[in-house]
Formats: sequence, structure tokens, C-alpha cells
Amino acid sequence: MNAIYSNPIPSRGWCIPLVPFALGCIALFALPAHGEQIGGTNDGLLERSLRFLSLSDGSVRMVVMGTLLMGFGCGIMGGHIVTRRLSLFGDTLSHAVLPGVAVGFLWSQSKDSWAILIGATLAGFLGVALISMIRKTTRIRQDSALGLVLSGFYALGICMLTRIQKMEFGNQSGIDKYLFGQVVGLSESDLWTMLLSCALILLLSVFLYKEMLVTGFDSDFARSIGLPVELLQYLLWLLLAFSVITSLQVVGVVLVSALLVIPAATASLMTEKMDRLLFCSALLGCAAGVIGSFISFLGSHLPTGPLIVLVSAAFFLVTLLFHPRTGLLPQWLSSRGSDRRILRENTLKAAYQELEAMDFKQEIVPVSQLARRRRISMPQAYREVESLVTKKFATIHSPAGDASLSLQPVLLSLTPKGWETACRIVRNHRLWELYLTNEARYAPDHVHEDAEKIEHVLGEETVRRIERILSNPRRDPHGKLIPSQQDIDRGFVA
Amino acid sequence: MTDTPSPLEIHDLTVSYQRKPVLYGIDLVVGEGSLVGVIGPNGAGKSTLIKSIMGMIPHNGGWVKIFGKPPGKSCSRVGYVPQRESVDWDFPVSVLDVVLMGRYNHAGWFRRVGKKDRRIACECLEKVNMLPFADRQIGKLSGGQQQRVFLARALAQESDLYLMDEPFAGVDAVTEKAIIEVLRELKSQGKSLVVVHHDLSTAREYFDQLVLLNMRLIAVGKVEDTFTRDLLQKTYGGRLTIFTEVADQSAGIREYDKERRSVSSME
Amino acid sequence: MKEPFIRDFDPIDTFVTPWATAADAAWNGQIVLMGFLVCLSCGLVGAFIVVRRLALMGDAISHGILPGLALAFIVMQSRALLPMFFGACLAGLLCSACIEWLQRKSILKPDAALGLTFTSFFALGVLLISLHGSNAHIDPDCLLYGEIGLIPLAENLSIAGFDIGSRPLISMLAITILVILALTIFYRQLLVSSFDLTLAKTLGLRINLIHFGLMLLLALTIVSAFEAVGVILVVSMLIFPSVTAAFFFTRMPVILLCSIPLSVIYSCGGFFLARWLDCSIAGAMVVVAFLCFVCAWVIGSQGGPLQRAPHLRRVVAES
Repeated sequence: MNAIYSNPIPSRGWCIPLVPFALGCIALFALPAHGEQIGGTNDGLLERSLRFLSLSDGSVRMVVMGTLLMGFGCGIMGGHIVTRRLSLFGDTLSHAVLPGVAVGFLWSQSKDSWAILIGATLAGFLGVALISMIRKTTRIRQDSALGLVLSGFYALGICMLTRIQKMEFGNQSGIDKYLFGQVVGLSESDLWTMLLSCALILLLSVFLYKEMLVTGFDSDFARSIGLPVELLQYLLWLLLAFSVITSLQVVGVVLVSALLVIPAATASLMTEKMDRLLFCSALLGCAAGVIGSFISFLGSHLPTGPLIVLVSAAFFLVTLLFHPRTGLLPQWLSSRGSDRRILRENTLKAAYQELEAMDFKQEIVPVSQLARRRRISMPQAYREVESLVTKKFATIHSPAGDASLSLQPVLLSLTPKGWETACRIVRNHRLWELYLTNEARYAPDHVHEDAEKIEHVLGEETVRRIERILSNPRRDPHGKLIPSQQDIDRGFVA
Repeated sequence: MTDTPSPLEIHDLTVSYQRKPVLYGIDLVVGEGSLVGVIGPNGAGKSTLIKSIMGMIPHNGGWVKIFGKPPGKSCSRVGYVPQRESVDWDFPVSVLDVVLMGRYNHAGWFRRVGKKDRRIACECLEKVNMLPFADRQIGKLSGGQQQRVFLARALAQESDLYLMDEPFAGVDAVTEKAIIEVLRELKSQGKSLVVVHHDLSTAREYFDQLVLLNMRLIAVGKVEDTFTRDLLQKTYGGRLTIFTEVADQSAGIREYDKERRSVSSME
Repeated sequence: MKEPFIRDFDPIDTFVTPWATAADAAWNGQIVLMGFLVCLSCGLVGAFIVVRRLALMGDAISHGILPGLALAFIVMQSRALLPMFFGACLAGLLCSACIEWLQRKSILKPDAALGLTFTSFFALGVLLISLHGSNAHIDPDCLLYGEIGLIPLAENLSIAGFDIGSRPLISMLAITILVILALTIFYRQLLVSSFDLTLAKTLGLRINLIHFGLMLLLALTIVSAFEAVGVILVVSMLIFPSVTAAFFFTRMPVILLCSIPLSVIYSCGGFFLARWLDCSIAGAMVVVAFLCFVCAWVIGSQGGPLQRAPHLRRVVAES
């Protein structure tokens, strides 16, 4: 018990690595920035990478800063919403802010990020409020409600944006960049807005960590201990809206939701603790942002947004396939391994039963007999025997040399290791049958199937316990001998 | 009235969900150190009663007082165990995290839980025999184990009044026994417990007071007085169908009114 | 002088001018007809999509077709109809299959699996288009909100020398007829399997086949409609008609029939709204659909705010 609470869960320890990150941000800001077009010159690949990695270029610094902040903010917010099953709310919100962007633009008549931020936040809130109103007053289901608000608001935004583009001042505005985003268009004030929203998100995740945890896991309980669940929910929406809006100009409407969902989903495959999940998610977001913009810097016509998303999707794919615990490949390998083990054990058992049928007078079994008992074809039987031989469970004797071609019967004899395993399996099988008939009152003809499965998974400990309960029996319900530990050690059954 | 206010006092509580009435005029007083079972058929409003006591569902009439104060003012003295279905079991929290949630109202806003809270949480886990699982993700436990964790969280709250919504639903016999033992121990410490229960066969043995509920209060009192054939018949039996039918009809009266008015205007 | 954001409403310019000459009438008639066909076919398929809680699957597929379109173009080096159509359908189906596979095989939550897959597909599509897009004449913006106004400009389709009309219009008409036919023939199977999966299984229906068929129909509709209304607005056309109709009616056949008048309202209303405000026509159609939805929500007999006023307490108190 001491071991557990003397080892405190690092509920805020994960924010320590963020300190260098924040310092780096400040340093990047302090350096002078030039509004150069990135990727404008035709240097070689190596020179370009050096230019990017050395961060000597002002515009490169801006891009790196922007994508870092975006990845960080979206990663943490994504962690919150994915664990609350709200992934598609992020998608809806990113579409619903569009009319707000248009209104903000109309209001300020420029691409001023503050007016747009306010307009977009209001529109996002209106969208979220509309969803909850639809949910409360109608029988429309969640997915339809999301789709309704998403497309309705989006269409409104499209109408307004197309209208603005046809007006005089709209043409040179670059307002259409909100649909697909363009990282080059980032201004210093955009970066400041991003930094502010990231700071707020960080504050929320550190200081309200336990409140967010309990409202996400069990909102009824949170309410019962007096937490203002609705208020916290709205705070979450607010910060989500901030991170969506600040990211819009980098990756555009559709791909923002990708940045929210993908890093968090990847992190949820990696860990089952909220603090670690948030940390991993933020880290993955930052990494995807930087690597994606690096790749796009290397090429000539490569758009940054889609590349960031694809890098992040690649992280996800790698995790999905290769993660040691939850990865599909390790799981498949281990299940295939156990399938093979079961197959080998069944072959060994059949060999034992053949030996038993001959009263253990001989030590060799013809493979044809084995095939008949296992009810499989000869080629299959040869394959199984070969796998026994490679695992050193048995050796084969063939009078005419080559095993598969000769007409002479191929004979199999078990090695001591094979004998031990065979005995263990038969012992497990028969003990379990006996246990089922004697203790669980099964009919003797009902127990075989069950024992066929159980025999491969019974541990030594359980077997001992069953033996004790049954007081070291010698014969199974069908009257056959149960090989004992002594038989295994001796190498033959007496 | 005595000097110390009773843990729970409900007067004329009326609740309706959207258009459908759920509870009518409930009067209830729960004394200190009592173990009260709430029983009734499906849809009788048992969970609604608990939730409206907690103030999670707004009520249309009447009032609730917890230790003489309205529900919102005495959160720290009430422990609530929600139904198991109301929680997202895939959420990335460990068993210990869940139990620590019981200490949150002791820790306060913006603060992290301290060493003392951690120790108390571990002790509570020990009480329900779940300490070996402390580091496991909450979804990877069986139903009975999850319910024990919930109980441990309620213990960690160190409240004076506990409201539990179906703590015995879907648990194995061993867990059921363990839970009832913990409940009795709490009771012996002078805490009050209100427990929603669905199994009539064990209700008599588990509780010392019963509330029979079917949209309205049928009976309340000691088990010997309330667990009678007559009252149970009244709670579960057919006599009340008329009552619910009338309630359903009253929901439809508006439509009927509208039709009648349009007919009369035509005349 | 500066033009105001909301133009003055000029009824003659809005309602009469588009139909003044025969050429104008033919031009604008094609636009309205295209809008009607898109709304109708999407609305019919969408009714089943919505009852099966797959509303966002439509969203996912409509984004997922993008890499297919781009690849078909890159391979064929032309905007030939058939390869583009085929590629898009294939990509759409692949996207939905990926989502279902992730939802089944991984520990991800269903919504995360959906959001993750379609955005990745979309990103891949955008990347491919911008790699080869300079000569593709695929405008990324058009992918998002379509360009229904350019439908009359599309090349004409001719069979055996006979000019039979604008290509997108004809293909949309064909798809609409296909949708109507498929829904009438398989109406019962679709209804049973949407309503009660267990019952459908006991009746011996091939659930997976029906699901696949519906997904195929959805992909076909989306692919042929996206040219007009773009990837995202297809989603609204899938959801709005049946949800709006469901405020007034509860039976499936009536809801399906309702998509005809609603499509007329959406396409005509959207056209005139866009004419008035001079904005995206497809966007305006969805705005009209949204307004219709809000109206139905308020006045509909199947539960809107008006229907849920607190009368009960008074009634109870009186009794």
C-alpha cells in the first residue's frame, strides 16, 4: 500500500518539459522577422534543409512558430474532446465559425485578427448552442444535429464570403485563405493571438486538470460535488473555438478538425492516463506541424496544411500497427504464435495417444497413424511433424532418407522435451475432464470439448490445485491413465 | 423540531420530464444513522428522486433540504453514487484517479490533491478490496469491481449523507455482500444512506427503512411496517394504472383543447 | 460609390430578368433543374442515411472521394467522365470501409475513427490536386462549395450524333432515376434493416449486402452531386429534407414524398436568393434549406418549442 501512494501520479509533472518549449517560443519572437516568401528560391535540397533547420530565415521562424503553436493548442484541446467523444463537435465548430469570420471581416474591413477572432468565437458559440437546443427540444439525433448545424452555418459562411469577394475591398483581402489556409500569410499579430490562446489552453489543462477530469468522466458526480459543469463545458468550447480559429489560417476549415482528432486519437492508443494522453497529443501535434512544414519547405508546390495532416496520419498509422501493447501487428503476431503452439500441442497429444494405444511398448509412431488420429491429410501431417522437429519436440526416422518422397512409412519419436509437453497436455486434458465430472457434475460425454480448449491454457499452479482437490487421481472419467509428474520425470508411463 | 436539522428533508416534491410527470408531492424525512431503501417498479421515478434531491433535475414544486440547507449549499456533506451506465468507461482514468475524485471537494479549486488525500483514497480502496487494481484503467474491471470503486469513491468523500443509485445492479453475489457490509458500517458510524434498490427479495434483509415509490409516495417507514403484501401490491400492482393513465391523458389535454376550440369556433 | 453588403431588393431583377429571353431562361432553367435533381436524389438517399444514424458518414464519404478524383485525373491526364466517376466512387467506398474497419478493430471511439479517416483522405486529395493541379483545372475552392452556376457551360453529351444536353445534368438525371428505382424496389428491405437489425436478420435479409448497397448509392449520389454543390453542401442536402419533413410527418413514405416539394423550394428559393444577394447559388440553396428547417422546427406538429410549452402543471393542478 505504501508503494502506491508514496509514488505520486505526476498530475502536473508533465508540464515541466514545456518550459524549454515556452522559452524557445519567446526566443523566436525576439528574433527579427522578415516577411519573405518561403520556398521562393531554387536551392538544392540540402541547402533548403539547412536553411530550414538553422532557423536563420525570418519567414521560416514564423512558419515554425505558427505550426508549433497550432500543433500544441490543437493537440491538447483534441485530447480533451476526443476522450469526451466529442471529436465531431470539433469538426462542426470549425465549419460553424465561418460566418463569424465573414462578419468580423466585414466589420473591420480588413484581415484584422481580433475582429475576426471575436466574430468567429460568437458564431462558434451560436452553433454549439443551436446543437444543444436541437438536442433538447426535438427528437433529432446527435449526428444529424451536428450535420445540420455544420452545413447550415457553413453555407451561410460561403454565401457571405462569395459576396465579399464580389465587393470592391474583398478581392485583395485574401479572405478565401480561410477555406484551405496558407501558412505563409501568417502575420506577427496572428502569432501573438495563437500564443495567447495556447497560454490559456495550458492554464486550463494545468490548473483545472482535476476539474476537467471529473467532468469528463462522470458529469453527474461532478455536479454532485458542486462543480459548475455547464460553466466548465462552456470554457472548453471557448478554448476549442480559440484554437480552431487561430489554426484556420494555417490549415483551413476542414483540416483543423484533423489536427484536433488525429494526434489525440494516436495518443489514446498509446496511454490510458489522461495527463500522459494530453502530453503525448500535444507533442505529436507539434511534431507533425514542424515535420509537415519542413517537407513542404523542401518541395516547390507542396501545401503545408495537408502535409501536416498527412504526417500526423502517418504517426497514427505507425502507432495503430506497431505499438507494442495495442498495435495490430504485435497482437496478430502473438495470436498467431499461440495458434501455432496449440497446433503443436495437439500433434504431440495425438502422438501420446498413439503410444498409449500401443501400451507404450514402442517408442515410435508412424506419421500415417498420426494423420488418421488427427483427421488430417498426409501433407498436413508432414507439415505439423516438421514444425515439431524444428522446435526439437521430436525426431523423425525414415528408412529411405528423404521423408516426403519415400513409400516407406515415416516414423516419429518424441524427444524428452516433446514427451514432457505431451504428458503435460494430456494430463491437463484428463484432469480437467475429471474435475468437470466430479466437481461440476457434468456428464462424462459433455466434457471433452471444453477440455480441448482449457488444456492449452491451464497453468502449473491451477493443475496442482485441481490435483489437490481431486486427491491425486490416476484415471480420467473414461478410465484412461492420467500421466503423473513422476511419469513425466521418468520418461515413460507405468 | 430538534436543534440539529435532519440530514434529508423533502416536502411536496413534484418533478416532470418535459411534458410527462414523474414524481408528485413526495414528503420524506431521513433521520441520522438510517439505512433507507427506495423501491418501486421500473419508471417509478426512483433515480429521478435521487437526482432531484441532488438538484440535477429542476423540480416544479416543493423543496428539498439537506442538513437544513438547500441542495447546492451542502455539497461537501453529500456523497453521490451514480448509476454505472451514466459513466464513460473508456475514459483514460485509473482506479486510483476515480477514487481521488472523491477528495476533490476537499482539495478545492485550482489545487491538486495532496498526500493525505492519496492516503485516504488508498485506505478506501483497501476497504473494498480493490487496492491491487489501483493502477488499472477503470474500463478494464468487471461490473462488480467497478461498483466497488464507486463505493470507495463515496467513502473517500467522507460525507454524512449518501445517495446511491442502484449500487447493486449487475454485480456478483460476493460484491453485493461486500457492499452491504460497507453500508452497514457507515450506518453504524452515524451516517445516513438512501439507496435505490430493485430487488424485492433482498430489500427486507438489507434495509431498516423502506420508501415505496410509484410516481407518488406509497409508504415510508420501518421495514416491518412497510414490507407488507398490501402496500407492495399497491406499489407494483394494477391499482395505480388508472393514476398513470390520467397523467398521460392530462398530457394530451392540450391537443384536445385545441380541437374543441376549433370545433366550437366553426359552430 | 460603395456597394452595400446586402443589396436592395429589386423584384424585377430577381424574379423576371432571369427568364426574360429564351437564352437566359434556358441557362437559368438548367441551373434550377440541376439544383432540384441534386436535392431530390440526396434527399431520398438521405432519409435512410439519417434513420440509420449515418448522417456524418455522408460527410465522410463526400470528403473521402477527393483522392480518387485526383488520382483518376493524374492517371488519365484528362477530365474524362468515366474514370473520374469510377475513381471517386472507389475512394468513397474505401473511406467508408476504412472507417468501419477502424471502428471494429481498434480501441478508438467511433466518432474519432470517423473524423480521423475522412480528414486524412481529404488532406491526401488536396495534396494530390495541388501537386498536379496547375493543369487540372480543379479549383480547390470549387471542391468545397461547388459551382452550380457553371453547369450550363459544361460540355454537351451526345449519343449517336444526337445532342441530348449538358453532361452533368444528364448524369445527375440518370442517378436520380437510379435512386428512385433502387429505393422503390428495395424499399421494404431498407426499411426493415434500418428499423430493426435483429428482425431483419431473422427474416433472412443480407444485412451487409443492404448496407453496402446503400453506401454505393450514397457514393454515386455524392459523386455526381459534388460538381454542383461541392463536397460539404452535399451533406446538408442529405440531412435537411428528411429532418424537416419529420417535423410534420412520422411515416417513412410520406417523408420520402416530401422531398419533392422541398427540393423545389430549396432550388428555386436558393436561386432567387443568390440572384438577389449575388453570392454562391449552392450556398444560398442550403441557407434556404436551413431557414425551412428552422421554420419547421418552430411550427411543426412533431415537437418544436411551441409544442413544448409547460401546460402540464396547470392541467395537473386543476385535476
